Amino acid sequence: METEDHKISFFKPTTQQALKNRNLIIKLFIAWAVAIFGFQVLLKILEKPVPEEALITFSSAWENIESGEAGHSDFRAAARSMIQVMGKLTIQPDHYAALKDGTGWALSKVYPEDELSELQQDVVYLSELREQITSLRDAEYLQTKELIISKAAPALNIGEGTLLAQLLAIGLDENLQVLAEENRAKIPQVMSLYLTHNRSFLTDTIFLGFPFHYFYTAVFLLVFFIGLCWIYCYRTDKLHAKLNFLEQVD
Amino acid sequence: MKKISLLILSLVPLMASASNDVTQLEGSFKVGPAIILIFILSLFILVGILFRAKDTTDYYAAGRGISRVGSGMAIASNWMSAASFLGMAALMYGTGYHGLSYVVGWTGGYVLLLILMAGQIRRYGKYTAADFIGDRYYSKTLRTIGAVIAILISIAYAVGQFGGIGLMFKWVMGIEYNLAVIIGGSVVLAYTLISGMLGVTKNMQIQYVIIISSFLIPLFLLTYKFDYFWLLPQIGYGSAVQDIVEGIQISDKSGLMNTLGHHFAIVPSPEYAMPWAPSSGQTFFQWMAIAFSLMIGTAGLPHVIQRFYVVPKARDARWSVVWGLFFICLLYWSAPVYSALGTILSAHPEVGKLSPDAIVVYTAQLGGINPLIVGLLAAGGVSAAFSTTSGLLVAGSSAFAHDLYVKVINPLARPKTQMKVARLGTLLMAVIITVIAMVDLALIAQLVAIAFSMAGCTIFPLFLLGIWWSGSNRAGAKAGLIVGGIVTLISLTYLVGARAGWVLPYSEFITYYLGAWYFAWIGAPLAIAANIIVSKLTPETPLEIRKFLIEKVHS
Repeated sequence: METEDHKISFFKPTTQQALKNRNLIIKLFIAWAVAIFGFQVLLKILEKPVPEEALITFSSAWENIESGEAGHSDFRAAARSMIQVMGKLTIQPDHYAALKDGTGWALSKVYPEDELSELQQDVVYLSELREQITSLRDAEYLQTKELIISKAAPALNIGEGTLLAQLLAIGLDENLQVLAEENRAKIPQVMSLYLTHNRSFLTDTIFLGFPFHYFYTAVFLLVFFIGLCWIYCYRTDKLHAKLNFLEQVD
Repeated sequence: MKKISLLILSLVPLMASASNDVTQLEGSFKVGPAIILIFILSLFILVGILFRAKDTTDYYAAGRGISRVGSGMAIASNWMSAASFLGMAALMYGTGYHGLSYVVGWTGGYVLLLILMAGQIRRYGKYTAADFIGDRYYSKTLRTIGAVIAILISIAYAVGQFGGIGLMFKWVMGIEYNLAVIIGGSVVLAYTLISGMLGVTKNMQIQYVIIISSFLIPLFLLTYKFDYFWLLPQIGYGSAVQDIVEGIQISDKSGLMNTLGHHFAIVPSPEYAMPWAPSSGQTFFQWMAIAFSLMIGTAGLPHVIQRFYVVPKARDARWSVVWGLFFICLLYWSAPVYSALGTILSAHPEVGKLSPDAIVVYTAQLGGINPLIVGLLAAGGVSAAFSTTSGLLVAGSSAFAHDLYVKVINPLARPKTQMKVARLGTLLMAVIITVIAMVDLALIAQLVAIAFSMAGCTIFPLFLLGIWWSGSNRAGAKAGLIVGGIVTLISLTYLVGARAGWVLPYSEFITYYLGAWYFAWIGAPLAIAANIIVSKLTPETPLEIRKFLIEKVHS
């Protein structure tokens, strides 16, 4: 890399050792960059926004609801879809509140009118209990939840022993018959936000149990980095041995 | 040894009786975990005293008596901070794929570090980053600035560590966060002052074993308990990721529950694994910018660079990176397992919003792992923060005592005085870090990422060009530092401004493109460009520096 006037430049090597070292670094650097950034760019190029099944169901049902042509099956489908989104870990509190409002309202449309106030009292009671209890295993709290499930889940065609039923029990608004205008406008956007995902064959292929792109990034790349480091050290040692390059020890 | 064994045996019944109390996620004093934590910290201090620094050479460079594997373990232990141990899973909790940008950034950077710098830094033969900068760019001013930057980076990095220590002390002791930061900070300060770097290096090897064991043992138990391939959880959790994407019905894993009584079930959540999910609020650009910034930051961190001076020769420096990266990856392959299982175990809305930074511990708790093992996990988190923080405090105090005091203020200082100044510097830094850690600015890993971007914008360009291009001169270095510094300043001003509620111009644009966790994506290239342009326009590097580069660094 050095010249007679003592100048060093990575891109202008002047000795055999420097030339080989530079070439090795460039090869490893390209492999490194392509493996990391090239793959992510490929992922970006191939991706398509794909809705979850729940969004397709919801959109169709909500369209009918908005046009005033909805039947019971539309309210049930919309409610089930909203409950599913309410079960997502990443949901923001204001989005959760809007869906809670929407779920209660949709339930009220398919629930026997004369029994609605009783269900509403159960929901209010559960909410009050939640403030008082010290353990989520509190017997009365669990009983009240089961009571709500036994009443509301069949109305929405949800099996009582399912996860949706569990989410339903705590996902009902205290004022079942009213849907705030603000929430009515917000719900379709919220549903679309949480139920649309960027997917491609790289995300849908399963490898060792993982979605392939996840395995590649979380597991393989790290192995690859260690491999690159090992190759560099091994090749450098070989090169130094070949050229009788002795390193000083301070 | 016999006494220690007797002490441990006498504590076992007490720890066992305490184990039943640890069923709540927060709030109570946890006797078993507290005893484990105290035992491990005492062990560190004991080793620190046994191998304490005898003079400044020992203090800075640990006597250079460390093997490649040992140095690799020390690199890993030094590196595996609270950000790795606690913060990594926190970033992936809920939105897994976005967090992988940190995993890739913090490991891929080692490839750059190795092929571009490790051997050359060792051959250059300087104690600290500021030493290198001052010498290579023949400038006392740059040495001073380099020292100040090294101190600032160490402080930024350590703030996240103190946050992690505070969180774990809070969890174990059931006390308020700020008090926990003060107690934890005091302990790590005492330990660093007692031991110095020789103790730190020896400790780091012990710490690595403790950190990795405490991290892996609960993983085997959790994957076994929840019916995933437990013999190799780092691969076995792939099915858990796919389960999150497709959803788990109660009937799929009937009988499996978390400690709060919720079924091991989750609604379909593809946003966990799919890239840059709209609901995560994270984009493709941010993923790439974070990974890039962390990678170049890795190659510019003073306390990481400083480790290469500890090994006997350049060849050892190179191989220690390979070993170090392998040891680091053991943890980085494992952290996503906690986030995946934690996501399922806390999926029920009744669990409420958990602090992501403590999700590793919460996952083990929610998974019903024996409380003593959860305590060991928490102690591992504290150890991770300790090992890194002590390294940072040493690097920072080195910059303070060696680069500022001896080289600039008092060149005739005796070794004893120098040692005293180093310890005073450590104390000052610890106080500053404690105060900043009490302000809840961001997640642990994000706070640490700020330090990486700072290093990427300032120190990385100086090292890269300083080693590989003799044309880079003093004026170029100053220009690069000014540009990198301005980018850093803008980004951090907007970060603080956003937290303080200031109204700043173009706020949305700047916080997106110059985000505090990744501003080096543009800051570093600009700093490099400024360095090159100004170097080309100004008198070339003196002959003696060019000769030194050829004869000592590249021959």
